[in-house]
Amino acid sequence: MAKSKAGMSDLAKIEQRLAYWLLLPTFVIMIAIAIYPLLSVFYNSFTNNIFASSKPVEFVQFNNYLNLLDLTIKEVPPKVDPATGKPQINPTTGKIDYQSAVSVLPRAPHRFKQVGQFNLLGNQYVLGATDPDFIHAVWDTIVFAILTVVLELVFGMIFALIINANFVGRGLMRAIILVPWAVPTAVSSQMWAYMLQPNRTGFFNTVLWRLGLGDGQTPFLSDPTFQMPAMIMIDVWKTTPFMALLMLAGLQLIPADIYEAANVDGANAVRQFFQLTLPLLRGTIAVALVFRTLDALRVFDLFQIVLGQARFSMASYTYYQLIQNRAMGYSSASSIVIFVVLSIFAVMYMRTLGVRSDES
Amino acid sequence: MKARNKYILNRVLLWVLIVFMAVWMLFPFYWAVNSSFKSENQLQMMPATFAPRDPSTHQTSFYTRNYKAVFTNPAFLRAILNSAIVAVTVTALSLAVGSFAGFALGKLRYRGKNVTMYTILAMTMFPQIAVLSGLYAIITGLKISAIPSLVITYLLFSLPFTAWVLTSFFRELPMEIMQSAQVDGASPFQTFYMILLPLTAPALATTGLLTFIGAWNEYLFALTFTSVEPNARTLPVIIANFPAQFSQQVPFGEIMAAGIIASIPLIVLVFVFQRRIVAGLTAGAVKG
Repeated sequence: MAKSKAGMSDLAKIEQRLAYWLLLPTFVIMIAIAIYPLLSVFYNSFTNNIFASSKPVEFVQFNNYLNLLDLTIKEVPPKVDPATGKPQINPTTGKIDYQSAVSVLPRAPHRFKQVGQFNLLGNQYVLGATDPDFIHAVWDTIVFAILTVVLELVFGMIFALIINANFVGRGLMRAIILVPWAVPTAVSSQMWAYMLQPNRTGFFNTVLWRLGLGDGQTPFLSDPTFQMPAMIMIDVWKTTPFMALLMLAGLQLIPADIYEAANVDGANAVRQFFQLTLPLLRGTIAVALVFRTLDALRVFDLFQIVLGQARFSMASYTYYQLIQNRAMGYSSASSIVIFVVLSIFAVMYMRTLGVRSDES
Repeated sequence: MKARNKYILNRVLLWVLIVFMAVWMLFPFYWAVNSSFKSENQLQMMPATFAPRDPSTHQTSFYTRNYKAVFTNPAFLRAILNSAIVAVTVTALSLAVGSFAGFALGKLRYRGKNVTMYTILAMTMFPQIAVLSGLYAIITGLKISAIPSLVITYLLFSLPFTAWVLTSFFRELPMEIMQSAQVDGASPFQTFYMILLPLTAPALATTGLLTFIGAWNEYLFALTFTSVEPNARTLPVIIANFPAQFSQQVPFGEIMAAGIIASIPLIVLVFVFQRRIVAGLTAGAVKG
């Protein structure tokens, strides 16, 4: 469109006007259900709005954000033995006894609660936050996103290589792997929750018990140690097919004669994969990684259905604050935090993908 | 001879992987079907059995009352209807509005095209959770009932997706078709709905399928906006919080039966339209 407006032909003008008219409905709808609500969420995030309450709405500046995100790290001093003046050693564990974390965490401007403790260079530290539930939700969501995306990439790649091979029933196989992707997450979450029952009525406990591992009573969904691995396992099952399809689309763009040349050169299959396939798939992998990370960071259905309020993802925590606590202002702030995090990934995604248009 | 052995070994390895993959993907369904044919007593058996068995004689015995219970559960039946209404309406609306946008983005020349392209692409990634409280306030403020609320708010994810996928399909149509239609005196809009739209019918079908699946499976908005209107609940909401009619415990047998029934339409779609679905998914995510 190098021509100036004055230089546009009548036909081009008609075309341009038509384009605007055709785009109008989409943009009007998007403004009504995305942009306007987002602005109202942004506005609300600076208030103490409680939904359906008679309390007057006040402007609270950044308080909601501070409540969500304010972190502090304090050193926890050891308990001192009054007789010797030296750190007190616990007689049963043989380790130093530390004072309670509550005593060192600040109470002003708002009360900090313990998120976790860690030891660095012989000193004990406590990580404090005003809302440890949110910090835990953020941490869990990030861990969930990283691990699921990496596992899905590896398994998706293997799946794609398999269904790209020639075998009888390849079409059937491609349909089969679509099934986990297609069923509602509500259904698959319930199916897995039932397989993970905390006694031998559940599939996993039955099998582990048969194999002589565990007592058949492992509480996969209530024991914090197993909750995240369970979430990751279910998500990997559900989303690997999608990853496999993206990888497959990439594989099919690679011309076959490259491999023929490599065969002549005597490169074996493993070498061909690492030296030809993988570099050629770099673009596809980048797009798939960012796209899936974006999806994983906003995980809601799985956490909400399987863990409920036992453990939150960022999205299920926001939902909980809005619906159970009616904390419109607070939940809006957490929405905005999620939005900002996701926007960063969205920009990365668009950069890797690029937009092809005829405009230069 | 050595090459032949190697070939056989490769084939065996391939088939081992294929079988592993198929079992992994399908096992949860097998387990759900298995459990859906068990009575409360059979579900309580320890260890769990791989087929429904009689607790005392251990003979296989299938219990079909879960399905009967599900099909006579008014909440479940209404949920099927609600899901169908919402998913079909959302799909139709998205295709109608999205194909306009897709045509403009894919085929027409106008000022500001890059901006509109990036906007639509950005909107395909818009997180629902970010506007949850805002939409909730609007809906309760305007007193929109739950089903229309779902139809309207689902456009948030379905419309940009439809527009984006259709853009890539429209772009692939040869420019000559448009030019020759113009030479014949057709206006661009006539060209669109008389010539291009019929040509993209397969693409519309593909996109429609994916939109339908997305709307059928949606949980967050459905859960939030039907919270005070139980009659409007869709299948995912009912299945995630299954209303027991008789039993005091979580009725897992019925939940599994309900889940299988809710999945059947999708499994059928997947098997019939496998190629189209794959084409649509990858057009939406991979191609720029």
